[in-house]
Amino acid sequence: MIVGGCDIGSTTGKAVIMTDGQISAYSIVTSTTRPEVTAKMAMEEAMGYLGLVSMEELDYIVGTGYGRLKVPFAKENVSEITCHARGANWLCSSVRTVVDIGGQDCKVMSIDAKGKVLEFVMNDRCAAGTGRFFEAMARALQVDLEGLSKLALEGKNPAVISSQCSVFAESEVVTLVNEGRELTDISAGLHNSIASRLSSMVRKVGLIEDVALTGGCAKNEGLAKALENKLGVKVVHLPEDPQIAGALGAALIAAERVQQREEVGKKA
Amino acid sequence: METKTKSRVLQEFQEASKTLMNPALKKEKDKGAKIIGYFCSYGPAEIITAAGMIPFRIRAVGSPGTDLSDAYLSNINCSFCRNALNLGLAGDYDFLDGLIVLNNCDHVRRIYDNWRRKIKTPLVQMMSLPKKISDPSIQWYYDELKIVKKVIEDKFNVKITDDKLREAIKLHNETRRLQRKLYDLRKKDNPPITGADTLAVMVAATALPLKQYNQMLKELVDDLSKSEGVGKAKARLLVIGGVLDDPEYIKVIESTGGLVVTDVLCFGTKNFRAEIDEKMKDPIAALAKYYIADRPSCPRMFGDQPRRAQLVKDLVKEFKVDGVIGQRIVFCDLWAGEIYMLNDDLKQAGIPFLKLEREYIMAGAGQVRTRVQAFLESMGR
Amino acid sequence: MSKIDKARLDKQLERLRGDKALLQSFVDMLGLDPSEEADINRFVLKTVMDKYDEIMNCAENDIPFMAAYFANCPEIFTAMDVPWWIFLQTPFLGVSSPFLASDTDETEKMGLATDFCTVLRLAMFYVEKDLTPKPAGLIALLHPCDGTVVIHQAIAKSKAWHDVPVFGADSPYWDDERTYKYYGEETKRMVDFVTQCTGKKLDIDRLREVCKISNQTYQLWADYNDLRKAVPCPHDWTIGPPQCFALACYYYPGKIEAVDWFKKLVANAEKRVKAKQGMAAGERIRALWFDILPIMWQFDISPWLEQEWGVNIVMNMFGYTPYEPIDTKNETTMFRGLAKRSLSQVPMIRQARGVADNFLGDIERIVKDYKIDCVIWPGHMGHKDGNASIGMMREKCRELGVPFLSIGLDLFDKRYTAIDEVKDRISKFFQASGLGQKK
Repeated sequence: MIVGGCDIGSTTGKAVIMTDGQISAYSIVTSTTRPEVTAKMAMEEAMGYLGLVSMEELDYIVGTGYGRLKVPFAKENVSEITCHARGANWLCSSVRTVVDIGGQDCKVMSIDAKGKVLEFVMNDRCAAGTGRFFEAMARALQVDLEGLSKLALEGKNPAVISSQCSVFAESEVVTLVNEGRELTDISAGLHNSIASRLSSMVRKVGLIEDVALTGGCAKNEGLAKALENKLGVKVVHLPEDPQIAGALGAALIAAERVQQREEVGKKA
Repeated sequence: METKTKSRVLQEFQEASKTLMNPALKKEKDKGAKIIGYFCSYGPAEIITAAGMIPFRIRAVGSPGTDLSDAYLSNINCSFCRNALNLGLAGDYDFLDGLIVLNNCDHVRRIYDNWRRKIKTPLVQMMSLPKKISDPSIQWYYDELKIVKKVIEDKFNVKITDDKLREAIKLHNETRRLQRKLYDLRKKDNPPITGADTLAVMVAATALPLKQYNQMLKELVDDLSKSEGVGKAKARLLVIGGVLDDPEYIKVIESTGGLVVTDVLCFGTKNFRAEIDEKMKDPIAALAKYYIADRPSCPRMFGDQPRRAQLVKDLVKEFKVDGVIGQRIVFCDLWAGEIYMLNDDLKQAGIPFLKLEREYIMAGAGQVRTRVQAFLESMGR
Repeated sequence: MSKIDKARLDKQLERLRGDKALLQSFVDMLGLDPSEEADINRFVLKTVMDKYDEIMNCAENDIPFMAAYFANCPEIFTAMDVPWWIFLQTPFLGVSSPFLASDTDETEKMGLATDFCTVLRLAMFYVEKDLTPKPAGLIALLHPCDGTVVIHQAIAKSKAWHDVPVFGADSPYWDDERTYKYYGEETKRMVDFVTQCTGKKLDIDRLREVCKISNQTYQLWADYNDLRKAVPCPHDWTIGPPQCFALACYYYPGKIEAVDWFKKLVANAEKRVKAKQGMAAGERIRALWFDILPIMWQFDISPWLEQEWGVNIVMNMFGYTPYEPIDTKNETTMFRGLAKRSLSQVPMIRQARGVADNFLGDIERIVKDYKIDCVIWPGHMGHKDGNASIGMMREKCRELGVPFLSIGLDLFDKRYTAIDEVKDRISKFFQASGLGQKK
C-alpha cells in the first residue's frame, strides 16, 4: 500500500509518502503563491525519491493545511489540527499534548492515546508565536533563524519583552539593541515571550505529558528550551523532522481510508 | 447540502435577510405605513403591530464600516452596535418612524444615548428591562409596556386598544407556530432545509410585513414538508450565542459538511419556543409574562442559567444533535460569561462543544471553516 | 455553616493574610509621622485591615457573614449587625501584590474571555480556586454592568460556592420615584434573605438610628467635597475621594467611626484651605479623573502626575456623591431613601447604571464647581458602556471648553497598556492642550 499526505502551508508545502505503514519519502518545499502548484511540487519531489512518476501510483492521497481545498490530486481534505495530532502521536505514542508552530499560525491540541483530538486552541489572528514572528525578529537582529535560536540558548539575562503584538515587539527589539543590550539576552527574551504565549494556550487545553512540538518552528532549540522552562516539563524529541507531522498525519488517514475500502470490499 | 425547494418564497426570504429595506417593506412604506425599529429580542413587536405599524428589528447587514460611529463608540465595543449606529448616522435608517431601545446590554443601551443625540428619528424611546425573573419584575415590565404603549399612542395619534393587541398577539403567535413547524421538519434524519436558509427565514420575519410573511412561510413549510432532504450531513449541529443574523456565517459552518439543525439564537428557537397566552384577559399582562417568564431568556437574566442550559440539552435530544457550536461577538460580556458556564454543563452531559469568536461583519471564513472541520473530525465525523 | 478543615480554611485565608501584611507595611511606612494627614491615612489603612480581621474571624469561628456590595443599601447590614464584605476586595486591593499578574493569566486559562473586566475575572478566579472564605449568603450585584450580572451567575454555579444561597436585587434603569419604590421593595426582600442566612433580624428603630448617622456622614462628605473646590485644593493624591468612598459607603455605613473620621478630615481641610495650603509639588493643573483611581498601580502614576505636571486630581468618579438625606420618618421613606442612594448617588453606580445623561451631567457639574482644567477618561477595558460614551463626553467637554483625554487601559492589569505608554499619552495631551509646563 502506498499512500500520500500533502500539507500546504503559507510558508512551506510538505508531502509524505508511506509504503506499507512506514515513511518511505518526504519533501519540504517553499510555498508559491498558488497552493495547487506548491502541492504538485511537494508531491512530485517526494515521489521522485521513490522513482514514482504518476500520482495514480499512490492508492490514496489526503490534503491538509491552509491550502488543503486546492490540492487537486487529493481525494479528501482533513484539517491540519487533526493531522498534526495524528502525525505527532504516530511519531511518539506517549505524546498527549501537541504544540504546532507554523508559518502563520500556532495551535495546541490535547490528544488521546490514539492521536484523536480532544480539545484544541488556535491562534491564526496574529503573528505572535509563528514563523513570521521569528523571521521578523531574526531580521531585526540581523541573523538567520538558526542564529536567532543559538543566541537565545546563550542568553544569561533574558530581556523582558512586554509588547503583545509582534510589530511592536520588533520596535522594542530595535530599542534594546540601541541601548546596547546583549543580542543573546534579547533573543532569549523574545523566545520567552513566545513561550509564555504558547504555555498559556497549553494550559487552556490542559497540560498532559508528553508534550511534543511540531511545525517548522519546532526545530528552534531556543524555543523548545524556553517552553520547557515555562511549562516545567521536558518536551519530547520526535524521531523525524517535526515539520512533516501534518503531512504524515494526512498520509496515515489516507492509509486508513484504503484499509476501510479493502474491508468493505472483503465483505461485499 | 442544499435546500431543494421549488418555492420562490425562500429566495425572497434570503433577499430580505441580505438587506435592510426589502421590496415588500418598501411597498408598505410607500403606501404610508409607519415602521418602528427595535433593538433586541425583548422589543415588544406586538405593541408596534397593534398600533398599526410595522415592527423592524435593527440589523447592520451591509454596513461598509464604522467610520462614522468610531467617533462615538470605541474599539472595545461590540461590532454589531458600531455598525448599526454607523448605518444610522449614514442615513440608512431614515426610513424609521420610531426606534425602541432596551437596556439589554451595555453596548446597546448606549446606542439610545448616541442615537437620540445624533440621528433624527422622530421617536426614540428607551425601555427598562428587568434583570431577573420574578413576579415583581414581570409587574415592572408590565408597567414599562404600558408606558411605551402610551408614548406611541401620543406620538402618532393612534389608539392601541386591547382588541388590537389581542389581534396582534394572534398574528405574532401564528408566526411562532409556523416557525416551529419549520424547525420540526429539521428533526428528520435528512432535513429539507439547511441551517443557513433557516436563519434567512427567521431574519426575514423581523423585516417583512407580518401578515405577508406568515402567508409566505406557510407556503414554504408546505413545500418543504414534501421536499427531499438536503443530503448526507457529517454531523448534526446546534448553534448558540448572541445576535447572529448572517446566514453566510452558518453557510461557512455548513461548508464543512456539518448541518445546523437547530439553535438557541436571538433570531432562532428563542422566538417560538413559547407562545403568548391568548386566553389571558389583559393582553399586556400576557405580553409581560411571555417576554419575562416564558420566553427562553437572555444571559442578562440573573438566576436563569440552569433553565437556559437545560434548553440546550433538551434541544440536543429533540434534534439528535451531535455537537454544539457556541459563538459570540468579541467584547460581548454576556455571552463570554454564558459560554463559560455552558462549557461545564455540556462537559458534564458529554456533549461536544466548540467555542468560536467572531466580529459582526464576517471575516476569515477559512479560519471558521478550519475550526469547525477540526471539531467534526474530533467527533470522528 | 459546616465546619471545614483547617488546611482548606488556611488556603482560603492565604491571600487575605498577604494583603493585610502588605497594608501593615504601608502603615509602617507612615511611621511615626505625627501630622494630621498621616493620622487620617493611618486610620483608613487600619480600617481596611480590621475588615480583613473581621472576616477572617468569622471564617475561623463559623460566624455567618455575607458577601455583598456598597450598592445594596449597606446601612441595612449595619442595622442588622451582620458582618459583611465585598469579596472583590481581595483582588481590588491587591495593590502591587506579587500574584496579580499571574492570577490574571490564570483567568485566561480558566476560559474567561480576556476582554471581560479584569477585576470580575479575578473575583471568579478567587472563588473557583477556593482562595476566599465562603459566605453564609451572597448578594449578587446586578448593576451597573453586564459583567457583574454574568459573573455572579457563574459564581452561583461554581463548585466552591454552588451551595451558597444567592439573592440578586433587580435594579431598573431609571432615576425616578417608581424606580426607588421598586428597588426599595427588592431591598425588603433582601432583608428577609439576609435574615434567612444569618438569623439576624432588622429592627426599624435601629435602622432609623443608623440612617441618621449615615446622613451625618454624607453631610460631612458633602462639606469636604465643598472644601476641595478651593484653589489650591487642600489635599494631594494621598487623601481624598477613595478614602471617603471607602469609609462612607463600605467600611462604616451608618457608623459613628465614619462621622468621627470625616470630622477630622473636614477640620484638616478647612485649616489647609484657610492657609491656602495645597499639595507640596504645587498645583498647576486641576484634573477630573472620571473613574476609580488605579488602586492597583497608583504608585506608578499618581506621584508622577503631581511631580512632573503639577496635576491634582481634584475630583474623581468615586468622590462625587450628591448628597440627599434619607428621610427617617418611617420604614417606607427609609427604604426609598436607601434605594435612591444605592441607585442614583453612590459613585460609579450613579454614573454608569442608567442613561448617559448621568455621566455627562456630572462632568458638567464637576468641571464648573471644581474649576477643572481637563477631563481624563481612563477608559478601563471593563467599562463597555463608558467607552461607548466617549464621543458624547468629548462633545460635552468641548462645550465646556476643557480638553478631554481618553486613554484606554486596564485599571487592574498594568500590562494592558504599559505605564510608560500611559504617561506618554498623558504628557502629549498636556503639551498639546497647552496645560502646565513639565518641570
